[in-house]
Amino acid sequence: MAEETLVLFKNIRNPKYSKSLEGYKKAGGYHTLKKVFGMKPEEVVQTVKDSGVRGRGGAGFPTGLKWSFMPKGTGKPSYLIANADESEPGTCKDRELMLKDPHLFLEGMMIGCYAVGCHHGYIYIRGEFFPAIKSLNTAVEELYADGLLGPDPLGSGFHLDLTIHSGAGAYICGEESALLDSLEGKRGQPRVKPPFPAVSGFNGCPTSVNNVETLACMPFILGDDGVDAFKSFGPQNNSGTHLVSLSGHVKKPGVYELRMDVNMKDIIYGIGGGIRNGKKLKGVIPGGSSSSVMTADEVDVLYNFDELAKIDTMLGSSAMMVFDEDTDVVQLLHRITRFYAHESCGQCTPCREGTHWSRNIIRDFLNGNGSDEKLRRLDRVGGNMLGTTLCALGDAAALPIQSFVKKFPDDFRKYYANK
Amino acid sequence: MPVFHIDDEPVEFHPGEKILSAALRNGKKIPHYCYHPGMSIVATCRICVVDIVDLGNGRPAPKLQTACSVDAAEGMKIETMNQKVEEGRKLVNEFLLINHPLDCPICDQSGECTLQDYSFEYGSGKSEMDYSKRVYGWRDIGTFVSLERNRCIQCSRCDRFTREITGTNEFGMFNRGHELTVDTYTDRPMTNKFQGNMADICPVGAITEKEFRFKRRVWKLKKNRSICTGCSTGCNVTIEHDRNEVFRLKPHENQNVNKWWMCDEGRLTYQIMNERKTRINRPLGRVGQNLQDISWEEAYRAIAERISEMEPTGNEVIALTDTHASNEELFLIKKLLKDGFLSDNVFCPLPKWEQRESEFFINTLITTDKTPNRAGALALKIKGDPGNVEVKNTIDGELKVVIVLGNPFETEHEIQQKIKPAQLVVHIGAYHNCWSEIADVVLPGQYYSEKKVTFTNKMQHVQATDIVVQALRRSRPEWQIIVELAQSLGHKYSFSNINQVFAEMAGETKAFSGISFDQIGDQGMKLTQTFKDTGMKLVKAPA
Ligand SMILES: Cc1cc2nc3c(=O)[nH]c(=O)nc-3n(C[C@H](O)[C@H](O)[C@H](O)COP(=O)(O)O)c2cc1C
Ligand code: SF4
Ligand code: SF4
Ligand code: FES
Repeated sequence: MAEETLVLFKNIRNPKYSKSLEGYKKAGGYHTLKKVFGMKPEEVVQTVKDSGVRGRGGAGFPTGLKWSFMPKGTGKPSYLIANADESEPGTCKDRELMLKDPHLFLEGMMIGCYAVGCHHGYIYIRGEFFPAIKSLNTAVEELYADGLLGPDPLGSGFHLDLTIHSGAGAYICGEESALLDSLEGKRGQPRVKPPFPAVSGFNGCPTSVNNVETLACMPFILGDDGVDAFKSFGPQNNSGTHLVSLSGHVKKPGVYELRMDVNMKDIIYGIGGGIRNGKKLKGVIPGGSSSSVMTADEVDVLYNFDELAKIDTMLGSSAMMVFDEDTDVVQLLHRITRFYAHESCGQCTPCREGTHWSRNIIRDFLNGNGSDEKLRRLDRVGGNMLGTTLCALGDAAALPIQSFVKKFPDDFRKYYANK
Repeated sequence: MPVFHIDDEPVEFHPGEKILSAALRNGKKIPHYCYHPGMSIVATCRICVVDIVDLGNGRPAPKLQTACSVDAAEGMKIETMNQKVEEGRKLVNEFLLINHPLDCPICDQSGECTLQDYSFEYGSGKSEMDYSKRVYGWRDIGTFVSLERNRCIQCSRCDRFTREITGTNEFGMFNRGHELTVDTYTDRPMTNKFQGNMADICPVGAITEKEFRFKRRVWKLKKNRSICTGCSTGCNVTIEHDRNEVFRLKPHENQNVNKWWMCDEGRLTYQIMNERKTRINRPLGRVGQNLQDISWEEAYRAIAERISEMEPTGNEVIALTDTHASNEELFLIKKLLKDGFLSDNVFCPLPKWEQRESEFFINTLITTDKTPNRAGALALKIKGDPGNVEVKNTIDGELKVVIVLGNPFETEHEIQQKIKPAQLVVHIGAYHNCWSEIADVVLPGQYYSEKKVTFTNKMQHVQATDIVVQALRRSRPEWQIIVELAQSLGHKYSFSNINQVFAEMAGETKAFSGISFDQIGDQGMKLTQTFKDTGMKLVKAPA
């Protein structure tokens, strides 16, 4: 029987915990930061590398490696930017952290800033997250009042400022280079890479963009025996616990902290309490709406980066959306595709035209105007966005379309079979 | 230079250069829309895909890559014509066409539209998009250009132009996704002086020049290389014309002068080329109050007779010229005065002018000196000063012969009044003006679109024009007129073409020494001896 492993949620799951600075300190908070200030930044980066932690924002890129790409001695300031734009449909884990334990994330962020030599960090937070913005603002104020932020945190002499910047409601601004443009006050549109942000990021300076949850892992990783413990939570190359946003037709939806070696079946039927109303499972979208859908037959698999990649889908932001046998997958796909058509920034030809066109084709099915030819066309138009665009949003729109058409063709046919 | 391979052919590249840039520089063709060598790379249209079969390390790229954004590398091998690439282009082109109005028959861009060209190559005859297309209304976006948004392919070149080139930020991209479109920010027409460039760089017919709209199908236009004479920058241009009528000027790339751009005012000079009403059509001679048609021979004979009667010399003779006159014309008029009258009295207006100092190159294009050959006049040491003091002092005495080239000192009534009583006033020029009104003999010259001459621009580059349209039947190029005039006065001038005049000028003038007419070629040549123009004032560009 699967159960939670509490690292990031240790405080949150404690009913007596107070998220104030005082409460966080009482629970041992900012202890690790003190230790980190005693290390060399390169040692911090090496420790993070050793832990094997991979980015929790969706791409799963090794964080230590990312930080090691930050060039030194460029004469320009370095920046660390927390990606708190959390907009991937199904994902609601960063919000939990920011709302309920902001200091854990902030300590992680400060560790990150020290590691990459950043003296002014930015938190780019999704504009609609009003309560989370408030929670973070309060926490940052507490830190300044305490002297933990400012010219001399914990007597380290490492001047550090943090600024919270709220976005204006665009999913694309979660993509790191679009985020940087938006933060610079421009239209939020992904940039051409290379140059990668590590070389030319915020205002053309070396920059690392990291997900909130990724940063929240740092106090643990850099704590005593953190690396070994962190690695022990999952198979090789998939270390640590991760926050799983479980939603859909399960009895107990929610955000759960799990090891990386838990079977998806156990998550759905154990942690999630099984399918609601005694229904049968039809499928799962495993890693946020951008990932390829899985059928009920495929869910007997470990829920981590590598195992999901092996079956041509992905862990993404660890957001599982479970749907039961009564679900109309054509409507589901329509909803997803409508989202991407609305959120495409529009600069790349395939994504701009393809998201909208494929959404129209799916709507044809819903309106009773489907046909074999249109099903083929949908697959083709969707596929034409795959790997042909500047940022990953094109792929994110293409993968659901192609996988739904491949795995649930009969559901589409039902819409036009009797005509 | 390092080398990589495109379709098995070696191509040299500068370190750090992108595949597309190196390819285009070496005459290879790769389709592209959003890439422009003068602006930042956005890699968004996605048509420029190529197959990198070897990244230079023996391994291929995992998928097609956009040639505009990937650095060329030593040992890299790319393919631009295999099936994978063709399919990559096809899919992009299909996407671009689904919302395009396909109104080529009424679109001015038709014939020089890259969307049309690539669709012809990669498009399908039939569209699979059976929904209604995206439709927008027409927008008046500028004094010089208009916008048909339905044709736009969202390449963002126009947007980048006002951000990166003019720095005026008047124009941008609006909305997202499928609704992404372009417009002015202020909802008001643009006012920058370089809008025509936006029509040039728009790969489709979305932005077009108002002046040119619906006037001629572009495939009917013949093109000649020349330079713009609208100001002393001398932007390189192609003059496009049909049946002896000029329709437009387009900038021609010259990295030393105008890069890819030119100003709107310069484009409008096409109107002067078609101007007929004020043209001097034939030689004229004064009989009493009126000018009457005469033949060239009669004109020259009349002048020669009057001069031999008067035997003028020194300060009794003066020539006035404007700085629209070419290097050769200035050289010859000076030579004629010296050889014929031992006079050094060739004067031109040399007012002070301002050059903007700006980080945006284009703002430095347009100058307050609206003549093409000020630097030529300085190089040839034609006399003049900002207040025209010297010329006024010189014409104080009694004048016998005055030769006027073009339209100098048009606002200087004092000079005109003093010239009027001179015994013989000869006007050589293409247009009627205050000088032809008082002249005794008028000789019809040619506009620069009708002759082959050289000018020296403000950067002291010598650049050549070309014969673009047929000149008026009875006109002659000014340099030839001066030569013939000299011959009729008994001088042995044996120049039969412009190359010979240039050669003599180069032999006698330090600034031009060592340059021959043929060397000037497509991109112009810097003077061999440059000098400081004391009349220039460098002003800061407004912030
Ligand atoms: C369309 C799109 C949207 C994204 N949205 C988010 C987001 O909301 N939050 C996030 O952390 N990462 C998001 N990412 C991933 C970021 O680009 C980036 O990889 C991530 O912030 C890096 O942090 P990590 O290494 O800690 O995962 C998005 C990526 C794409 C392509
Ligand atoms: S108007 Fe022309 S230049 Fe501007 S984005 Fe559209 S197609 Fe490109
Ligand atoms: S900048 Fe001067 S030379 Fe260039 S086009 Fe304009 S007027 Fe002509
Ligand atoms: S030219 Fe390369 S993507 Fe547009």
